Amino acid sequence: MAAQNKADNGSEDMPVASSTDPSAEQKERLIAAVKKEVKQLMEEAVTRKFVHEDSGGVTALCGAVEACLGQGLRRRALGLFKTSSTTALLHKIAKHCPEAALVSARVLAAEGAPATRSASGVERRPSAPRPPLCKRGSGSLLAQAPPQSRYLWIRIALFERQLAKIIEHLVTNANRYYERDALVADPDYGSILSSLLVGPCALEYSKAKAPTCFWTDPPADELVQRHRMSAGTTTPPSVRRPILNFKRSLNASSDDASSSNTGTGKPVGSTAKDYVESLHQNSTAALLYGKNNVRVQPKDVEEPMPGYLSLHHTAAGLVIKWTPNQLMNGYAENEGIDKSLLRCHLVHASACQHTCILCSTAPTCTVYRRRCAGPLCIDCIYWAMSLQVCVWEVVYVHVHRSQASDALILVGQDGVQRPPIHFPKGGHLLSFLSNLETGLLPHGQLDPPLWSQRGNGKVFGRGKSRRRPMPSLCESGESEEAEWEESAGDYVFRIVNNAIGDKEAMRHSLLERAVASPPRTPRRPLASTSTTSSDSSTMSVDCPPSAGLNGNPPITPVPHLPLEQAASIELVCSTMRRQIISRAFYGWLAYCRHLSTVRTHLSGLVHPNIVPREGTENGLTEALWRSMTDEHGAVNEKDEVYRQVYYQGVQHEIRHEVWPYLLGYYDFGSTTEERAEQDAECRRQYETTMSEWLCVEAIVRQRDREATAASIARLSEASGKLKPVEIIEACEVFEDDCSVISDNPPVVSPEPSENEQKRTDKPVLSRAPSIDEIDNIEMDSEEQEKEVKVNGETEDTHIKSVVKNPDLRRESIAEIKRLAEGIVQKGDGRGLLCSVDSANVNLNESDLRSSIDEPQQNSQQQHTSVIITNPSVDLAASGSPASGGTTATVSPSRSPLGVVREESQSAGASFDTLEPTNEVRPDARSNCVSPASSNGGVYSNELVESFALNLHRIEKDVQRCDRNYPFFTDENLDKLRNIMCTYVWEHLDTGYMQGMCDLVAPLLVMMREEAIAHALFARLMDRAKDNFPSGQAMDAHFADMRSLIQILDCELYELMHAHGDYTHFYFCYRWFLLDFKRELLYQDVFSAWELIWAARYVASEHMVLFIALALLETYRDVILANTMDFTDIIKFFNEMAERHDASAVLSLARDLVLQVQTLIENK
Amino acid sequence: MSSRKKVLLKVIILGDSGVGKTSLMNQFVNKKFSNQYKATIGADFLTKEVIVDDRIVTMQIWDTAGQERFQSLGVAFYRGADCCVLVFDVTAPNTFKSLESWRDEFLIQASPRDPDNFPFVILGNKVDLDNRAVSAKRAQQWCQSKNDIPYFETSAKEAVNVELAFQTIARNALAQETEAELYNEFPDQIKLNANDNSRNRDGDNCAC
Repeated sequence: MAAQNKADNGSEDMPVASSTDPSAEQKERLIAAVKKEVKQLMEEAVTRKFVHEDSGGVTALCGAVEACLGQGLRRRALGLFKTSSTTALLHKIAKHCPEAALVSARVLAAEGAPATRSASGVERRPSAPRPPLCKRGSGSLLAQAPPQSRYLWIRIALFERQLAKIIEHLVTNANRYYERDALVADPDYGSILSSLLVGPCALEYSKAKAPTCFWTDPPADELVQRHRMSAGTTTPPSVRRPILNFKRSLNASSDDASSSNTGTGKPVGSTAKDYVESLHQNSTAALLYGKNNVRVQPKDVEEPMPGYLSLHHTAAGLVIKWTPNQLMNGYAENEGIDKSLLRCHLVHASACQHTCILCSTAPTCTVYRRRCAGPLCIDCIYWAMSLQVCVWEVVYVHVHRSQASDALILVGQDGVQRPPIHFPKGGHLLSFLSNLETGLLPHGQLDPPLWSQRGNGKVFGRGKSRRRPMPSLCESGESEEAEWEESAGDYVFRIVNNAIGDKEAMRHSLLERAVASPPRTPRRPLASTSTTSSDSSTMSVDCPPSAGLNGNPPITPVPHLPLEQAASIELVCSTMRRQIISRAFYGWLAYCRHLSTVRTHLSGLVHPNIVPREGTENGLTEALWRSMTDEHGAVNEKDEVYRQVYYQGVQHEIRHEVWPYLLGYYDFGSTTEERAEQDAECRRQYETTMSEWLCVEAIVRQRDREATAASIARLSEASGKLKPVEIIEACEVFEDDCSVISDNPPVVSPEPSENEQKRTDKPVLSRAPSIDEIDNIEMDSEEQEKEVKVNGETEDTHIKSVVKNPDLRRESIAEIKRLAEGIVQKGDGRGLLCSVDSANVNLNESDLRSSIDEPQQNSQQQHTSVIITNPSVDLAASGSPASGGTTATVSPSRSPLGVVREESQSAGASFDTLEPTNEVRPDARSNCVSPASSNGGVYSNELVESFALNLHRIEKDVQRCDRNYPFFTDENLDKLRNIMCTYVWEHLDTGYMQGMCDLVAPLLVMMREEAIAHALFARLMDRAKDNFPSGQAMDAHFADMRSLIQILDCELYELMHAHGDYTHFYFCYRWFLLDFKRELLYQDVFSAWELIWAARYVASEHMVLFIALALLETYRDVILANTMDFTDIIKFFNEMAERHDASAVLSLARDLVLQVQTLIENK
Repeated sequence: MSSRKKVLLKVIILGDSGVGKTSLMNQFVNKKFSNQYKATIGADFLTKEVIVDDRIVTMQIWDTAGQERFQSLGVAFYRGADCCVLVFDVTAPNTFKSLESWRDEFLIQASPRDPDNFPFVILGNKVDLDNRAVSAKRAQQWCQSKNDIPYFETSAKEAVNVELAFQTIARNALAQETEAELYNEFPDQIKLNANDNSRNRDGDNCAC
């Protein structure tokens, strides 16, 4: 838009091709710009419900409107000389148009306030929209008008909703203000313009939110949308880029980053307006330094030209820009550099083709294209001359001070040196450098530091500064250095980026060596023998000063004598040679380092051999699967299965058949019969385990009831009586029982000894408030007993077919032993219950001993022990006949059970008699009577407690697991719970951890059958359990992610590195813990899991890493464009959960694996 | 200027699993209740802008996993917190009992500058349920014993007291924040103190 501005302003001063066609085209373009901005603004309004006044969309729209209004304005006729903005126009029409009068008044009012702040505020503001054109006094650039005041009147008119009317007024009275061929005067375009603005004038504009929160808070959705809207051409994920994206050769990527992210792009490829705006202090870049009349000698120009040098701090880093005065002023002639201009014209032909990219690539800029056709292409050349250097690409800053001027040369990491920048004398160079140094903080610095060097000369002595006296003065040696500091001298500063400190350190040492060894050797030999790139690049920039060796100001290698010219050409040639060598070396060095990183960090992550992809287009279809199955139902081609699954997944219909193989539950090559047997065995095992914990569950339930009853009672009591309750409340309460001690003072955390005390006291002292209640409890437990029995019965039907289970017996024996020992050692426990326990156990122990001594003979006795120890009485009854080798049926085998019950009951009863209190008795009896309780007596208290804890957690989480998914009805949730409990019962040491439910759910959905799902889950957990807090895998994953990103997407890595917290990668936590279960929809979870399982055998054992990386890469542009930090990214991905394009992500993940494989193979 | 500066308050919600942390957060931020929440894995946060004493502040509310085993993960999130919300379920006494350990754990992990005066707020959630097992009095007493922590009985489901509670949270967090700002505004003062301390220590050393 400013480009267009420029154009029409230029039309006053330049002979313009008067064909009407370009002007129509120009109008078209102007209108298109307005259309685009209106569209953007409306979109913004739709997505956000309101538009913020400081939004970039508003500014852009105002700019577009301004451009339209400025075009063809009869400035001279209206007396609007030299005012670049249309503000004056507004004031002019205010007489005739009431809307304009209103806006005009507001503008004046608004201008009044800031005018007091800066004297020239009012004057400067109108010029703000078109900085390149208006004349600027030196230094005025430093104080920039805030963005709000740009296009002030249009802005105000827009917010006041008067803009459309004002434009309409202008259009209807166009002949008064505009040239005949102006846009506004055009019958079509004029009305289009005014009607376009009706929409934006109807919007809500708000100032309520601070600009920062306006930009940082958009939800993930909107970010992605915005990205799609704005980026017609999506930056391909870096994955698609050449692999060697190492940091040091980031030019290309950092360029596009700076242009897309910060809007401070080069004039190349972005509009002139953007460029000019980028010279100002704006929202994306802070202006650190600006200086007029800094001379730079662009290529193809023989004399240095004055221009405006500025240092900007953008999000990506520091950027140095230099713009020729001609561009800044808009007028070329008055600077007395016609000579150089003429030369420019001579090189025009080449410049236009090669360097004036603005003409060739920016289609919006018709003006330039048109101009280029003509003989003079002054603007183009100036654009080409303007300089933009990203400081993060600069490695060295060479400073050559001489009597006449101070020159500064920037040397890029690729060894290319930029044209020398000549500062006027008088400390300007120094102030620029100090600004640069400040700007580099905190992540970078100048080496050696600027100020310490100035402060004391010791730095020189240490040789830290690679100061290089001029050759003619070499002989003077170190002692005279201080002298030179003031008058003349060459200094080299290195820009150190802390992020690459290690590399720097290495280079540093190389440099030191190179510099130290041949201090007096003539340059050329040194250069030819130089082996380090850094040295050669340092050498290369010594050339310009050498031109000033004979006392000439080192402004430029301007030849005064032909002889010197020849010498300087020779020098230039050698410089080029060195540069070429240095580039090659740099490339090689970086490549070597890169590969060593790759090898150390990544070789373990992927398999070395690449499995070909051919023939996997359809994945593992049912037809293919059947064809792989032989007549016995065996599948032998496991590699092929894995390969197919890896590349294309499994057809959904056969997933339930294939998954057991993938998880290693079925063996490849097993026949149908074998598998059926395996299943049966698995089911039996499962039922057994389940019956074990079901009994414990019964105990837990009972205790819970007691606890609830007690607390409810306490609560109801609290409402009645006050005093005792207060005491109760004050004291600490134990985890899973209702024991509250009434005689304890309010203690925060009681000592262990007190614990013991309480525990023994408990049954007597605090036992429940009312008998009724206990009766209730008892009734409850009896009911429950029935339930359990019913359960047991149904289980029986399953188990009848079961053969024998030696493990079970062994386990239970071991259990008794352990418990007995535990109880004996502790000698205490849960008061009454435990005394009953020990009674039982003692009794058992004798049986046990005998059974161990004479296992064969005492099979009957052993039955009893089994019965007691086995949690499920019924099960034991049915299982024992087989184990004893007898043919007893189920019903006779119940008889020992009865005996045992009696025994235990009598034990309990006998114990009861010892108890002083009556209240406890029902409790004890209930323990004895219920089979669950009687068996529970054998389980240690800790066991029950720990299972209870797990059980409660499981139930909480099972209820919450995927309840929006229709599969999880109550019945299936029960299955889920059973699987979970069974697993936890088998792994009580690790216990239940949140997230396990999520891992079981898809397996259950797929397999439907509890036992098999449980078996698969157990296998899944073999790998996954390390991800949980008890394992170490998560940290390893984070570290691997780090390395992977560093190597595959260094740009992203830089961003993450800039935010230190990123290193933790916590946003990946859930991904890894649940294998992306929460990130994807069910259907996609299936595919992702298959991929992970199959990848283990095909490409990588750490497929999760690559999927994670693929997710990250999918949104890399959004992340980069918004420079998200640690929290932003967590929020972003949490909001994006279940909305990813899974198939794209998975295939990207495979590509990433391949990429790493190729990288490693290429070593 | 400082009053117009945007303030970000970091609030951490802690408590046993299933007490309703996620629900409370969503009720406050999005004004809606869902019974579809899953167990939180890892951590999530929502932001909301509230007006406290004519200042617009952004609350960044962090919701964490409830199982204490995942606390090691929380450390990264605790840092820089301005307020900590401890939630328990009034129908589950155990969740009330573990408040103590949540509080201690937080103070250890987050290591705020002034642990004694770090703002906590206790929420007894699920008061809409009938089977209440922790009396308000009991909770209140506990809160009083802990340096008078504000206590609210909330129901995320029926939006009882949620707004009020979070207003208090914001206010207390802001007080904490302003205090921190005050500290930062006078770095010299701190420096001087530091010097004094070191001098004192030197003196001690000499005496030894």
